[in-house]
Amino acid sequence: MTTSSSEYVTLVSGDGFEFILPRSTACVSGTIRRMLEPTSNFSEAITGRCVLENISGIVLEKVCEYFCYNEKNKDQVNVPDMDIPPELCLELIMAADYLNT
Amino acid sequence: MYSNNISAAQIHQDYQRRVRESERQQTQAVVEPATRNDEDDEANASETPEQKKRKRRESAAVQKIKQSKEFARRKARRTGEPNGDDNTIAREMLYEKARPMPGQLENCEICSKRFTVTPYSKTGPNGGLLCAKCSKDLEDKEKKSKPRKRGPRSGRRQNQSNLLDGVTQRGAQSLVETCTKKVADNINDIEEFGDLPSPLLHRLSQILSKRRALNSRTLNLFLRPDLDSINIYDCAKLETDDFQKIFAFMPGLERINLRFAGQMKDNVLEYIMNRDLKISHLQLDATNLISDGCWRLFFHKYGLRLKSLKLSNLDFSLDDDTVEEMCMSCNGLERLKLEQCWKVGDRSLRAISTLASLEHLSLSMIREVNNDNLLGIIDNLGPNLRTLSLEGFPAADNRLLEHIHNRCHLLSKLRFTGNTICTDNGFVELFRDWTNPPLEYVDLSSTRDVDNTNPDGPPEPVGLASQGFIALMKHSGPRIRVLNIASCRHVSHAALEEVFSGDKRYPHLQELDVSFHTSIDDYLVKHILRSCPAIKKVVAFACFNIQEVQVPVGVALIGGLKAQDPIIVEGEFQGHMGC
Repeated sequence: MTTSSSEYVTLVSGDGFEFILPRSTACVSGTIRRMLEPTSNFSEAITGRCVLENISGIVLEKVCEYFCYNEKNKDQVNVPDMDIPPELCLELIMAADYLNT
Repeated sequence: MYSNNISAAQIHQDYQRRVRESERQQTQAVVEPATRNDEDDEANASETPEQKKRKRRESAAVQKIKQSKEFARRKARRTGEPNGDDNTIAREMLYEKARPMPGQLENCEICSKRFTVTPYSKTGPNGGLLCAKCSKDLEDKEKKSKPRKRGPRSGRRQNQSNLLDGVTQRGAQSLVETCTKKVADNINDIEEFGDLPSPLLHRLSQILSKRRALNSRTLNLFLRPDLDSINIYDCAKLETDDFQKIFAFMPGLERINLRFAGQMKDNVLEYIMNRDLKISHLQLDATNLISDGCWRLFFHKYGLRLKSLKLSNLDFSLDDDTVEEMCMSCNGLERLKLEQCWKVGDRSLRAISTLASLEHLSLSMIREVNNDNLLGIIDNLGPNLRTLSLEGFPAADNRLLEHIHNRCHLLSKLRFTGNTICTDNGFVELFRDWTNPPLEYVDLSSTRDVDNTNPDGPPEPVGLASQGFIALMKHSGPRIRVLNIASCRHVSHAALEEVFSGDKRYPHLQELDVSFHTSIDDYLVKHILRSCPAIKKVVAFACFNIQEVQVPVGVALIGGLKAQDPIIVEGEFQGHMGC
């Protein structure tokens, strides 16, 4: 109950890895933003913990990297694409589609 | 030469020696072995006759070099540099010549191995020559360090490319888009897409088609029995069997969109008929190997199911008889597009006018047709039509606009381009008191008089001109989203100023094409940007009076600017506008 408006949120992968990110960074994802919407009364919003069952730790790590990358390059022109290992890209594309990023 | 015991040569030699000595003390530079020997000799006060002879020979050679053209060239290049004095340059040249010639043996400067000098031998860090292996290492090192030297690229080319696509987004691309591109990059290593959602498949198909990477192998990735639509924008590399494969693997297909499908033949269409697929939306491009007989059979058997039919770039089939059969059979057709079909003529138009359920009609004609047939279409179908696109009717006259005015009341999109007969007054009459709600999409480009000997046009303006444009914006201004008036050359500066002046607002206008309007200038662009708060894209090719415009963030101004890069203003645009 105490962390509902805390500055940081925790993302948990299906295989149990936890990633702690600033709230604004995690909200790059539309899905996570709606999960954490304070008025929604979802358990994620109350605890500040999003469990993403269908995303593995390796993929979620890359997703978090993208969140930070997006935050860092906000309002800049000529942003180069983030480097993505080819073997991850199909899983990542599914995760990205799910997370609406 | 010898008079009064003074020798010019002697004076010169003494001078040279002094110069050399002072130079050696100053720089202590490491020079070629020959030079070192030479200077050691000079350091000795007592010189043997042999050494003196050698020195004389050297100074003679230096003297000779000083008169050569190469010397003059080098001197000119190095004036102002610290080591630019005559003797240094001349001596440099002398010892350069003394370097071993290709074919000679030499010791490598780095690894000290003996090797044969070739024209490819590199010069080492201290001026000596390097063996083949060390030369290669050095070259590799240079190659590696080069890209780092270039520094961050400006990306101007990419910027302009994005701009042409209307992309002005700032910040990073979405992760989905980045990944999609990455998948497309590695398409040849991918076995299957898994259960990728349909919109992502569509996007991948677009990217791969654009890169011309869709072939028999990559097509397999898109064949998913659970999906009801397929979109392949470039089928040029697919064979007849591949098309058959699409319909064999995807029995649930309802929407088909195959472009550049040149190898699609009769037997594919026959296969579709035999499989009894539930196709309701069919879009085929360039399927010229399908015969008229097969088309007719297809329409006859399948026509009732079709809701949408779009055929384009057919130059060999689809004649009037086939279109007549189509219009008789396809009674449920809501959307029809016939674009660049060479054999479609007057009889086809008469047949199309019987398609009572049609809501969207798009015709782009190659053949010349009788105006009355076009008017017949508007009369019969007009009341139902929601979108109407007419291209390639250069001879249609004001009666067409009149009929549209009288019969069409549901239109949201109107395209009528490339006409040289309809007058400005006709357009005024069309838009004045039209019961149709405001249009969202208007394309009246290239409606103008084309007489090279009379660039200003006749006294009564032809095409969409000043009054017509004002009437159009008065009618459709509140809802208009896309407006194309490219090449409507008789629209005056005053009319544009009136439309986009002070307090007028077009809240939904996002895309505007004003190419070839030479009256558009910086002042008008400012007003356009101010009166269209939602504007995203202004196309202004050949608008030579646009010189320096401040383009706000998020707006793509394409063409027009004499400056190569659009100037981007940070922050709120309205705040900057003092006028």
